[in-house]
Amino acid sequence: MSRRIGVAALVGAFVPQASGVVFAEHDHGMAMSENHHEDSSELSAGVSVETARFTNTFYVGSYQGIMPSLGWMRGRFGASATIGLYHLDENGLSTYGLGDAMIAGHATVLAAETLQAGVALHVMAPTGSEPDGLGMGHVMAMPSAWAAWSARPLMIRASAGYGRAVTALGGGHHDHGPLPLVDPMNLQELTWSAGADLEIGHRVQLGGRALGGIPIGTGRTRMIGGGRVAWGTPRVSTAFELQLGVAGDPFTIRGVVETALHF
Amino acid sequence: MRLVMISFVLAACTNSGPPPVATRTVCPDPDPNTLTWDNFGQKFMADYCTWCHASTLPHAERNGAPLYHDFDTLRGVTQVADHIDQYAGSGPAAHNTAMPPSQCPSVPGGPLDRDCPTPSDAERTNLSMWLACDVIPPP
Repeated sequence: MSRRIGVAALVGAFVPQASGVVFAEHDHGMAMSENHHEDSSELSAGVSVETARFTNTFYVGSYQGIMPSLGWMRGRFGASATIGLYHLDENGLSTYGLGDAMIAGHATVLAAETLQAGVALHVMAPTGSEPDGLGMGHVMAMPSAWAAWSARPLMIRASAGYGRAVTALGGGHHDHGPLPLVDPMNLQELTWSAGADLEIGHRVQLGGRALGGIPIGTGRTRMIGGGRVAWGTPRVSTAFELQLGVAGDPFTIRGVVETALHF
Repeated sequence: MRLVMISFVLAACTNSGPPPVATRTVCPDPDPNTLTWDNFGQKFMADYCTWCHASTLPHAERNGAPLYHDFDTLRGVTQVADHIDQYAGSGPAAHNTAMPPSQCPSVPGGPLDRDCPTPSDAERTNLSMWLACDVIPPP
């Protein structure tokens, strides 16, 4: 069981866009489950709330978002979906709107006692307004591979992937800095992440991670670092993560609180 | 194949509006020199743009206009002329109406309290022609 939920944790945590706390949190909470069966399906429903400030070459402002999510797992396979609703303040303009919706599928290809590995595919739909800084303006496809090593109380994980807009590249887009403002990406990039979590008892985990993107062609190298604390039971999990934009101006600081129910 | 189909379905849900497209306006040869900053560009920018795109406005008063996109001087226009063409110009390859937006301030830097005045199609065509002839350096 903990293996399967570990997959959800990894897949979510390595999404280049998402804050990913809730997915990592799944790992913590569900690892404690003792009544789950490998051949049964598992559903989860979560919500994430985040607030951030950003300062880049062209924009100064802040945003707040709320992101409901749904997840499903069965055996080696799983899927999830999420979408954000934002309030964005950019250079004095206040707007509300949807962000880009994301769906993901993942599969575990290696499941040893301490080592797990798999592949995932995230697809983002351009439901967010590109001119308003809420969306990429294109469908994005992001295949990735991940691996994790765990020996309680420690778990270490890493991933690498590729993200690409499903559109013609190099279309003469004017450089407006990191976009979308709520979670910038390059039109084509390599993605990476690495992190570790440590169980400290009383169902509490402490962890840290870094993730980023390296543009292929024009774009900006992006890096985010974060530290988090998580608490969970077999049915409920909650986490808080504080993130810093280390490179590429994704934001200056962002706080994320997430909670999820598992069925 | 399924991925491609999913992508198309998701693309149909887009909320992005028309993308910015270069109009590919070409200045006639010889250059007619009929449109200049003094007789066209400055008035166009004052009528439709500098309510938000002005170098005098700090970031909090720009109503979303990006920093360094200031059209109260010819120098400011020159720095992002291709961008202006992609968002407000009209020509052989595109008729762009993303700018001005729907709501504008009554005074520069003020709240968005009125409908924006919008350029006519002829003005948008002239904008792209002026940029092509007088602002954007020839390739």
